Amino acid sequence: MKDDVMWIAVAESSAIVRHGMLEILKHFPDTPHPVQLIEVTSLEALDNCMQTHVPDLLIVDPAFEGWFNIDNFKADPQSANVKCIALLCSMVDQNLLRKYDDSISLYDDEEAIYGKISQLFHAAREDEADTDALSQREREIITCVVKGMTNKEIAEKLYISIHTVITHRRNIARKLQIHSPAGLTIYAIVNNLVELSDVKM
Amino acid sequence: MDYKSAKFKPTDKMGDLINHDYKLLLVMSRFGLSLGFGDKTVEQVCRENGVDAPTFLAVANFIHEGNNLMEANLSQISIPQLMNYLKQAHSYFLDFCLPAIRQKLLAAIDCSIHNEIAFLILRFFDEYATEVRRHMEYEDMNVFTYVAALLDDQRESNYSISVFARRHNQIELKLTELKNIILKYYPEQGNNHLLNAVLFDIFSCEEDLSSHCKIEDFLFVPVVRQLEKKKGII
Repeated sequence: MKDDVMWIAVAESSAIVRHGMLEILKHFPDTPHPVQLIEVTSLEALDNCMQTHVPDLLIVDPAFEGWFNIDNFKADPQSANVKCIALLCSMVDQNLLRKYDDSISLYDDEEAIYGKISQLFHAAREDEADTDALSQREREIITCVVKGMTNKEIAEKLYISIHTVITHRRNIARKLQIHSPAGLTIYAIVNNLVELSDVKM
Repeated sequence: MDYKSAKFKPTDKMGDLINHDYKLLLVMSRFGLSLGFGDKTVEQVCRENGVDAPTFLAVANFIHEGNNLMEANLSQISIPQLMNYLKQAHSYFLDFCLPAIRQKLLAAIDCSIHNEIAFLILRFFDEYATEVRRHMEYEDMNVFTYVAALLDDQRESNYSISVFARRHNQIELKLTELKNIILKYYPEQGNNHLLNAVLFDIFSCEEDLSSHCKIEDFLFVPVVRQLEKKKGII
C-alpha cells in the first residue's frame, strides 16, 4: 500500500450509483489505513488510473461501459495485484463473478460493505482498539531506534531476527501513528524512554 | 461555505466562486490573478490577465469537488499554464508557507535550553521542510523540464511521465505526524493561543499539500500522458 493509504477506485457509469458508493466509502472507518478514493467514469479514465495511480482496490460494475473485461485486467501485470470487487447493479452470471475477489450488491448496507473490504485486506478492524498499548519489547526497540541503531544491530542486541525487528517497527508505527525516527525520538523523550543525551543527532 | 454541487462555470462570478470555497483564493493567486475583480465573471477575469479559463476551472473544480475524479479527456487543459500553476504552488510552499509555519512555531514553543521537546520539534520540522524542498525541486528540475522539452518536440531519451507517477508520493504525511506529536505529546502550558494558531496553519498546509499532490496525479500526469500519446511516445 503506497504511503500506508488504501486507494480505492470506483468505476461505474451511473452517476447516481457511483456517487452513492463514493459517499459510503468516504465514511469508511479508517483503521488501519486511511482511505483515499478515485472516481472513474470511463474505461479510458481507468486506463489512465492504472498507468499513473494504481489503486489497491477496484470496485467495478461488471457491466461497466458495456462489459468490463476482468480476465484482461487480471492478466495485465500492471493491475494483477489490484483486488477487484464487483458492484452488482443487475443480474450477473455466477461463473463470471468467481473471477472477482468479492461482490457488493446494490442492497448491501454500509457495514456489509466495510466488512467485505476489510476482509479482503485482512484488516481485523475489531481487535485494533485493545492492542494500542506498547509491549515491553516494542519500548526496547524504540529506545534502540532513537539511539540510531540499524535493524541489524537491534536484532543482534536483542537476540531476535531482523524480520522480527521489522515486524515490531511496523506495529509501533501503527500503534503510535509515528513513522519517522525523528518522531519516535520525540515520543521517547516525552515518555522518558531515553535522555536527550542518548539521542543520535 | 455555501453548499454548491454543480461545477463552476466560466460565467460564474469570481466573487461567488471564492465565497463558495475560500481555498480557491490560493488557486487564484497561483494563476497570477489578484483581488479587486469586482463583479466580473471567471472568464472575464481570466481573459484580462492572460489566464486560460478552462485550465483555471479544471483546477478549481477538482479542488472543490474533492472526489479525485480521474478524467479521460483533459484536452481543455493548457499544459504550460498548469505547469506554471504547479511551479507557483511550489514556490508558495517553500518560500512562504513553510517558513511562516516555522516562525509561528518558534514563537509558540518555549525554546529555552531546558525545553528538549521544543528543540526536537523544531528539528523535526526542519528535516521535513528539507524533504519537501527535495521533492519539489525534483519536480521543477526533472519533471517540468521533461514536459517543457516535450512541448517543444525535443524529447529526452528514456524518461516518461509514468516514471514520475510511480515514484510520486504524498508529502503531507510527515506533517500529519508533526501535528499529532504536538497534539499528543507537547507538554501542557498556560496559554495555548499561539500553539493553536500554528496548529491551524499546519492543518491547512497539510490539506493544501495533499490537494497539490492530487492535482499532479489526477490532472497533470494524465494530461501529459495524453500529450505523450499524441506525440507517439507511448
